[in-house]
Amino acid sequence: MSSYNVRSWVTIGLFGALWAVVEVTLGSYLHLIFPSQANTFLTGVVMGGIGVGVALTGRHFVPNRGSVLLIGVVTALLKLLSPGGAQLGPFVAIVMESVLMEAVLWIARTPRRWAFVVGGALAVGWNFFHKFVMMRLLFGKGIVEVYTKMVRDGSQMLGLDVSAAILIIAVLLLARLVVGGIGGWVAWELGGAVARRLGRRTPAASPH
Amino acid sequence: MSPWGYLLFTAWAALATTMTAGWWLMGLALVELAFGLMWSRRGLRLLHRPRFWAFVLSAVALGPFLIGEPDVAVGPLRLSRAGFTAGLEMAGRAFTLTLAFGLGIASLSLSDVVAVFDRLGLRGLGFATGLAMNLLGTLREMATVTLQTIWLRGGVRRPWTALRLFLVTTVANTLRYGDEVINAAAVRAFDPNGGQPAPLPLRRADLWLLALLAGYTGVLLAVGMW
Repeated sequence: MSSYNVRSWVTIGLFGALWAVVEVTLGSYLHLIFPSQANTFLTGVVMGGIGVGVALTGRHFVPNRGSVLLIGVVTALLKLLSPGGAQLGPFVAIVMESVLMEAVLWIARTPRRWAFVVGGALAVGWNFFHKFVMMRLLFGKGIVEVYTKMVRDGSQMLGLDVSAAILIIAVLLLARLVVGGIGGWVAWELGGAVARRLGRRTPAASPH
Repeated sequence: MSPWGYLLFTAWAALATTMTAGWWLMGLALVELAFGLMWSRRGLRLLHRPRFWAFVLSAVALGPFLIGEPDVAVGPLRLSRAGFTAGLEMAGRAFTLTLAFGLGIASLSLSDVVAVFDRLGLRGLGFATGLAMNLLGTLREMATVTLQTIWLRGGVRRPWTALRLFLVTTVANTLRYGDEVINAAAVRAFDPNGGQPAPLPLRRADLWLLALLAGYTGVLLAVGMW
């Protein structure tokens, strides 16, 4: 942490706040239109895609290791501290997304376009597993039986083979990966465009 | 109670929920409610939310239909008693875990979070969290003004250009705002890596909580639940 100076922490705080603005405003709006009990796809994809875009753009301006994770931690805490935001689900989702992005950036060592794209894809892809993990965590092992029965009965009701249900699930996962990848790509382009416009490349290297 | 007490309670309750089963979950829920009444009344507001109850009770509603073999007929419905019991336990688990989180960590204030980070040697993270919390409104306002300006200047006709302008302007303005904060911090000689952390001592209520949790853990161990 000693490699982080005041500018690094301020930038982490700012991008954490930007992500939180999206979560608190657009997120609340989308949750109102599409309640989570009825919709598990659209809200997560939209929020995840924008979230990875913001966090990875922030990485351009705080080129220290761990900065994306810290942006995610700040956002998760803001979500937790916001009125009506005391929910375990979004907290875990935001932290996990930032952990996945950070892991890919750590493997890539230096910021690269492919790392942003893969990190973004994995982060939004987490949303797919998030619901299952959280349900397993909250409800215990009985939820596995519930999901299995729902897929089997749903397939029968719609006249589909169970393999078709698996195909639908695979398509939903793929859609998330694509959106996340686009989010990472946009972050790479956006960070570069802003850095060029402001005439700075590695702001964290400044004396403050 | 100090922030340590709330953190201890969250960790203990989360662990207890994963290791407890059956009717003992009810006992755990009662312990959590007692904690809420004594030290975290704000966290108990969670119980006033219909969404929370819809989430918890969905397990009770689905269990008899989706778990086990149907063995009871209620009108046209064929239900499973084992499924109802399993659903009840699932609901209890969701209730205790969600409540533990709401009464514990989620009851901490911003100053508590900053103080904990400072004590743990993460002064910079506490500073970033406090800064972010204070700038939320400003950044939201800035983004709204940017969007309205682009909209009024005919952004609707070229949506992709408008979107690009919006994103670049928002990020650039955010960074410019950051420069002002950095200057203010430099003037005040703020050092995120130095200085002594402020003390955050345990209070009498923390010790009472510790005794209560130790007692309940002892009971669970005695009955062989853990």
